[in-house]
Amino acid sequence: MRFVLRRAGFFLLTLWAAVTLNFFLPRMMPGNPAVAMVAKFRGRVTGQELASLETLFGVNSGQSLPVQYVHYIGDIATGNFGTSLFYFPSPVIDVVRGAVFWTLGLFGVATILAFILGTGVGIVAAWRRGGLVDSIAPPVLVITSAIPYFWVGMMFILIFGLKLQWLPWSGGADLTATPGWNPAYVGSVLEHAVLPGLALLITAIGTWTLTMRNNMVTTLAEDYVRMARAKGLKSTRIMLDYAARNAILPNLTGFAMSLGFVVGGAILIEYVFNYPGVGYMLLQAVENEDYPLMQALFLLITVAVLVAILLADIATAIFDPRTRSSE
Amino acid sequence: MRFLRAFTRNPKAATGAVLLAAFVVLALFPGLFAHDSPTAELYQRNLGPSAQHLFGTTGLGQDIFAQAVYGTQQVLIIAFGAGLASTVIAAAIGVAAAYLGGFWDAILSLFTDVVLVIPLFPLLIVIAAYVHNSGTTVMIAVLTFTGWSYTARQLRSQALSLRNRDFLAAAKVRGERARYVIVVEILPTMISLLVAAFLTNALYDVLFASSLQFIGLGDPNSTSWGTMLYWAQNNEALQAGYYLQAIVPGACIALLGASFALLNYAFDEIGNPALRPVRRRRQRALLVRRLSRA
Amino acid sequence: MRRLIVTGAAALLAAAVAACGSSAPSTSGASANGPSGTLTISNEQGTLWNCSFNPFNPSNLGEGITMGQVYEPLAFVDTLENGKATPWLATSWAWSDSNKVLTFTIRQGVKFNDGTPMTAADVAFTFNLMKKYPTLDVNSVWSVLSSVVQQGDNVAFTFKAPAVPYFYYIADQVPIVPEHVWSKISNPVTYADANPVGTGAYMVQPCTSQNITYVANTHYWQPGEPKIAKVLYPAFTSNDPANTYLSTGQAQWGSQFIPNIQAVYSSKSANNHYWFPPIANVSLIPNLTVAGLSDVHVRQAIAYAIDRNKVANIGEYGEEPGANQSDIDVPTFSAWLDSSAAAQYNYGYDPAKAKQILVQDGYKLGSNGIFAKNGQQLSFSVINIGGYSDWVASMSVIQQQLKAVGIAITPDNLASNDFLSRLYNGNYQLAYYAQTGGPTPYYEFRQWLYSANSAPIGKQASSDWERYSNPSTDQLLNSYAVTTDSATQHQIVDQLQQVVLSDVPYIPVTEEVGWFQYNTASFTGWPSPSDPYAVPAAYAYPDMGQVLLHLAPKS
Repeated sequence: MRFVLRRAGFFLLTLWAAVTLNFFLPRMMPGNPAVAMVAKFRGRVTGQELASLETLFGVNSGQSLPVQYVHYIGDIATGNFGTSLFYFPSPVIDVVRGAVFWTLGLFGVATILAFILGTGVGIVAAWRRGGLVDSIAPPVLVITSAIPYFWVGMMFILIFGLKLQWLPWSGGADLTATPGWNPAYVGSVLEHAVLPGLALLITAIGTWTLTMRNNMVTTLAEDYVRMARAKGLKSTRIMLDYAARNAILPNLTGFAMSLGFVVGGAILIEYVFNYPGVGYMLLQAVENEDYPLMQALFLLITVAVLVAILLADIATAIFDPRTRSSE
Repeated sequence: MRFLRAFTRNPKAATGAVLLAAFVVLALFPGLFAHDSPTAELYQRNLGPSAQHLFGTTGLGQDIFAQAVYGTQQVLIIAFGAGLASTVIAAAIGVAAAYLGGFWDAILSLFTDVVLVIPLFPLLIVIAAYVHNSGTTVMIAVLTFTGWSYTARQLRSQALSLRNRDFLAAAKVRGERARYVIVVEILPTMISLLVAAFLTNALYDVLFASSLQFIGLGDPNSTSWGTMLYWAQNNEALQAGYYLQAIVPGACIALLGASFALLNYAFDEIGNPALRPVRRRRQRALLVRRLSRA
Repeated sequence: MRRLIVTGAAALLAAAVAACGSSAPSTSGASANGPSGTLTISNEQGTLWNCSFNPFNPSNLGEGITMGQVYEPLAFVDTLENGKATPWLATSWAWSDSNKVLTFTIRQGVKFNDGTPMTAADVAFTFNLMKKYPTLDVNSVWSVLSSVVQQGDNVAFTFKAPAVPYFYYIADQVPIVPEHVWSKISNPVTYADANPVGTGAYMVQPCTSQNITYVANTHYWQPGEPKIAKVLYPAFTSNDPANTYLSTGQAQWGSQFIPNIQAVYSSKSANNHYWFPPIANVSLIPNLTVAGLSDVHVRQAIAYAIDRNKVANIGEYGEEPGANQSDIDVPTFSAWLDSSAAAQYNYGYDPAKAKQILVQDGYKLGSNGIFAKNGQQLSFSVINIGGYSDWVASMSVIQQQLKAVGIAITPDNLASNDFLSRLYNGNYQLAYYAQTGGPTPYYEFRQWLYSANSAPIGKQASSDWERYSNPSTDQLLNSYAVTTDSATQHQIVDQLQQVVLSDVPYIPVTEEVGWFQYNTASFTGWPSPSDPYAVPAAYAYPDMGQVLLHLAPKS
């Protein structure tokens, strides 16, 4: 329990840090680009909306910094992220809603799959040291972890999309199909998700396989594993119940740390495949200089990562009594 | 010395080192290898590979091979520059936290952890978006500012494990000041980990910098692999069938990254003998020897 | 990264779409049973639709989603036919009182798509709504109007002083909106207008963030129109899918900038065609207050140093023609070109002449390869929009060509907000941008040269960013504004060309074109060089409404 509370406390602290960072970023930037942007809104938004924008970006505000900050926290807490410049006059929160669904679907599924698969391969590789998997997997994975994510995507587009023409390689679904739970649309969605999903899977899997393997190897040298072997327990049982269960714990923490990198990969893959998720929208906002949207997306992505890490920490607490009792 | 021997005998390390050395040579003496200026738009557009143009030409009529060779400079400057800077900061914070302990450790660790969980790439994107057209120096600054936390954590753990060793206690008893102990006693024993941290940072700096340039947040007029990919994308090279325009810079990034990753992996193995590759028939013998020592 | 979308240019270009109504060319395949077929448009906007169709919002206008096919203006002015005006919602018009009063006769029998009749009252209401809410008045027509009054079936526009060229902004660029809907809106500026009630040939049914579906308006006032039953306008967020839809034939009408168009598009099918009519000029803009650039000889040297065709070839993949120093788009406005004046100056690619001019003016080549005089080096920075990769590419070619004649320029690629603010405030040395132009060359000249559009350095200039000011040029422009006589207009434009040729206040480099791809497999009636009845880009308004009225499914 104390552990969970401590992790929750950490989560709140990092949440606050992210929100504050989001507050200061536009104010710290040279040339104060927000000024020009807010000027574009004049005459097109109501006084109240303009005031929110000015608060968000610290423009023209006669208020002191602490006062701005308080207003900003209030706005964020009520879900008021301002009005989108490019999607004017839609509020940012509405614009973002559409994209979240796509990213959760693609990215969520692919990441979880990558973690499961990567961990699995890592376990097998470590268990059979010197075996086929162990000789091939690590060097291959080392190389794949060095390939830029977007390049993998581009090669997929080239091979499977353009040359072989097996799958569509752009967008989330066929644009002219009517959205809804009809077979045509759902089929189109699944079709469009294959290539970007695979690309994401391949890039993410490398990190976790390697760390899992290394953790497993270290664990396998532990006494209790030797004991289990001496006792004559079945190989698979030792591998899973003894070694893997303990080796996975640092991997779970590693999951948290590497999640940040995988998010980066997801953004690039969405970009290359024009997949209409949150990452793609972020890059669009950047291109269109739609700063309110950009800031909101950054905050959203950060918070999502923080939540994922919190969940991973709680999972660690559940599976590892040591962490619980060590407090 | 033992370390060096282990290094040269490790095939991964050797491959990585050779690759890296090759790129460094290219960066230092580009003129020896590429006879064309990378920026001159003299040739016909979108040519395929030929005797005059090893990899063909870009959509703007520039020689791809020359661009790839000259582009090495920017990438290596960023990788080494930002990699070094982040490692220095990571070492400073990680070791200080471990050595000072107590309150300072708590504060610094907390700070590191908070920075660590904030996703790096979106932050880079937002900063690059505001700064706009990041040249090399800005890129290095931004990457350093955001990239040190991952390795700081590792260095802190290592430093922590060293903290109570005898040779440090001896130094303390001798009356050496904290700064002396950190720099002269602790850091040298952590060399291998520092090098590994540098390699990790360098790898991610290469990938992140190229990614930022690819999506257009770098300086499109500069010569680097990331901007080559940016222009290939603009040229719709893949759709038009000019594959080399995209394949060449991507392969370069992958190779350079692989060299860092291989070296890093090799360091891991050298540092942790349990990770070293074993051949099957030796495994049983190893186990027997271990059990007999028990 | 994305190809430029010159929404502003599109706006002006699109302004002049001749009403097909009475003079609709008969097209084959017009079904007697009503409209049929589905047309898909490919015009990448880089964004999803927010389903707002407010026709006064510049963002909506630039996307070509509302004005033309949903809302209609009084007349259509065709840029590609030298500004020929044909009736649309007005059947006729006349100038009176020394061109101070313009009276339109409004067409009878027109209904809005909700069945309500459209009358002159709606026209007067629309203009007075714009007076009440100046933000709606995108083209500032009220800067020259003093009143708009309904007189039975006519509407009389009274001007403060004659401003004949404003006919285009008034007749072609203002959407006529229904009084019975808009009088109830509390804030027309932010009104989203999700279910637009207009007189146009199409209605929105439905709009999602991914796609707008237009269906034929059953109350449409032109019999037998529209001939196409459904129009789909998907929201492409980047160029790749938009170009793929075109090359595979999934979309039949494109307004895309496609690099390597032969390899990517034309070669994929015999039915894939394209045509890019020039409509404005992308120019190198010198800040005339900056030392060195204030010297006309330096500007002349620059004009001789640039190989415009090479810039167009490399930067624009040869899909835009090189411009000329007379600032007349060829072939669109060839009838206006004073070729003898152009020949007299002969501004072609002539680096030797460029150097000669500089040397004769007292400049000496320094050891660094840059010309200098009295310690003033010809070394400048040029601001450009970083997101327009074709302009960035063009600028690097220009840079190399100027370097060859001893003038050094350093590109400074900015975000468009930043760029525009610096351009408007005069905070630059050289810049690369285009005016929006209009149905005749006068519009572009006025934007470049009319000193009232300018402002001192540090204040915002709406156009004339180079800060050109010459009272006799102003007089020329003013004299054009008061006449409707074609011969006089041509004479004045000739003199304006002389100004640009001798003073070189800006250097046109490439001709901005209307991007247009079309697939002839299922549809016919496309604009072409032999029948340029409208600017064919889907972002040109209200031209795109005219195109839709001319198109028909092939039988």
